[in-house]
Amino acid sequence: MSRARRRAAAVMAAVAAGVALAVVLLTGAANGNSSGVTDIGGNTSAVLYAAGHRPLAPEFSGTTLTGSRLSVSAYRGKVVVLNFWGSWCAPCREEAPALAALARTYRGAGVAFLGVDVRDTDASAQAFARDFGITYPSVADPASVVTMDFTTVVPIAGTPTTLVIDRTRHIAGAVFGAATYSELATILATVTRG
Amino acid sequence: MTNVRAPEADPFGSPAPEPDGQPRGHLTGGASGSAGWLKWAWRQLTSMRIALILLFLLALASVPGSMLPQEGSDPAAVQQYFTSHPALAPVLNRLGLFNVFAAPWFAAIYLLLFTSLVGCVVPRTFRLAGSARALPPRAPRNLSRLPRSASYATALDAGQAVEVAARVLSGHGFRLRRPGGASEPADHWLSAEKGYLREAGNLLFHLALLGVLVSVALGGLFGYKADRLLVQGQTFADTASALDEFHPGRFVTAADLAPFTIRLNQFTAAYIAAGPQRGQPASFHAELSYTARPGGPSRGYDLQVNRPLSVDGVKVYLIGHGYAPLFRVTDARGQVVYDQATPFIAGSSGNFLSEGVVKVPDAQPQQLGFTGVFVPTAVDVGGILESVFPAADHPVASLIAYAGNLGIDSGVPQSVYQLDTAGMHRLGAAPLLMREGQTLRLPSGQGMITFAGYDQWVSLAITHDPGQLPALVCGIAALGGLLLSFMVRRRRVFIRARAAGHGSTVQVGGLARTDASGGFEAEFASLAAELRAAHRRPASRPDSAEGK
Repeated sequence: MSRARRRAAAVMAAVAAGVALAVVLLTGAANGNSSGVTDIGGNTSAVLYAAGHRPLAPEFSGTTLTGSRLSVSAYRGKVVVLNFWGSWCAPCREEAPALAALARTYRGAGVAFLGVDVRDTDASAQAFARDFGITYPSVADPASVVTMDFTTVVPIAGTPTTLVIDRTRHIAGAVFGAATYSELATILATVTRG
Repeated sequence: MTNVRAPEADPFGSPAPEPDGQPRGHLTGGASGSAGWLKWAWRQLTSMRIALILLFLLALASVPGSMLPQEGSDPAAVQQYFTSHPALAPVLNRLGLFNVFAAPWFAAIYLLLFTSLVGCVVPRTFRLAGSARALPPRAPRNLSRLPRSASYATALDAGQAVEVAARVLSGHGFRLRRPGGASEPADHWLSAEKGYLREAGNLLFHLALLGVLVSVALGGLFGYKADRLLVQGQTFADTASALDEFHPGRFVTAADLAPFTIRLNQFTAAYIAAGPQRGQPASFHAELSYTARPGGPSRGYDLQVNRPLSVDGVKVYLIGHGYAPLFRVTDARGQVVYDQATPFIAGSSGNFLSEGVVKVPDAQPQQLGFTGVFVPTAVDVGGILESVFPAADHPVASLIAYAGNLGIDSGVPQSVYQLDTAGMHRLGAAPLLMREGQTLRLPSGQGMITFAGYDQWVSLAITHDPGQLPALVCGIAALGGLLLSFMVRRRRVFIRARAAGHGSTVQVGGLARTDASGGFEAEFASLAAELRAAHRRPASRPDSAEGK
């Protein structure tokens, strides 16, 4: 009798524990903060990766909007701001003036700006670049293949996303969604110093 | 679903142990009040009645999911509902009725049902496992009271008679029980039971049921669903930002997606050209090239409705198609600012009269926008364009042009199928009506537009459900177990032999514990006849009875 009751209690406890675990998993209460990643100004969409926690950026090459070949290996030894954008994307249009201004500010400071034009056409993309005064090159990525490569190391959930790649080709910072001038300037200040 | 403590007590009060030991519904007096209540609540939750009520509630709760538009599957229809029912919609929204399957009350029912089933199935599994190993009960005193019985005299003495019967019954696969120890030395009896496969089937059913629950949960946590609209000649990679809709499971991150790419080479739709079925689709073929991973070999596939592509554990289904007219827009400064195929969506008026929007955010000096229709086989009916056939035999585009502010530069995402004309003014009164290849000047010197032709598009549903196969296997196993437990019946045969004269009197009794199909009567008769024949043989040489 008491053995049966003890077993019933054990089964009850096991099931209750299982359900509690399921609830935790389903509601995502176990949402920990992975180390080595710092949010900038409490904004979870802009992050800095600490040295030693920086993912290696994939190599890529492609055709620019103006038809020339571009390989990221040409930027070795430079800090690269890599912006995934599209002329169709509203937040990209919101952040475009900030990116154009940053590119002007950092000209000659060993920081290269580079775009990856996602799901776009050359006509629309060139019109966008003219409109916002963006003079740095962009690689056309109509099929999102370059984006997919980067998604294996950084969780790119949508467009726009901006990555800051350090001189050793490691990703040092990222802004998911529309980037602001100050967010990127903060990341660049850290990366160009180190 | 299942009753934990089904009344399985022996009909004749034999001391077959009730494995759980506890009488049902009885609260232990010694336990403190709250523990007692907890136990009571647990027993209620895991009872069949509550499980059935929860199952019914779950069915009831999914009704609004099919009656009302859902955020997950059709957010546009939800918006539509809000505009057409401005008073009711916010109330329904507060109750989570536009996203039923993510609503907390739905999760509550689901989790309670899950708990109820697990709490019911796990103890029952232990009990069934015990029952599948248990010995039959002792033979009752008076076998003639059993539903089936027979009695006859034999020349064998009582001990021999029981031995012979034991050999016959074990030859038929019965599990035997004989008097144990020295408690009843003069008692000659034998209990035999068969049909333990029924318990094994029952056990399999319960375990498989748990397996189904776990599989479904696995699929929800580790699977994903996505949609992508793909125009002829376009390629897309399976990555979050290339998908139009993306619904990942809780444990799916952007990096977990299968890294395939798919290109739509050609889409062909054939329609019935004559007869009463005119205009009905005859066949759809989407010719794809795909690579399973970047840089991998490119393979071809003829995607059809109900013939999905399987790549890297992901299934890709063809779920829709349409036309994407090609427009080229030149702005007032002479720059080509738009040159692409623009997907239009077929409306309800039939024959693929399709509606769509063209947004030209980088036209100068003002942004341009167009709304209009693409008519695959156009006929002018009293000034109104109608499509008379779904194939593009005589394609025409008719657009209304707007100039001004598209409202897209503020960073708020917009639907590509809707034009917000609040900040725009209409250019010209008449729509721009264009045949294929035709170019028209926009009013007020805003530039020009060319209707350069059309492409076709397909919409693809991409699903990854790792729980699908285990759920199928468990489902089949559950069905097999259920059939086994329905078809196999447990039946018992008892033998008692008492000395009488020079020989003994043998009593045979039989009982089927569950005999819905009613075959036990014949089985018992044949067994009794066989036993009687075995007992008629003169000698008790062990081999003689066994050899048959």
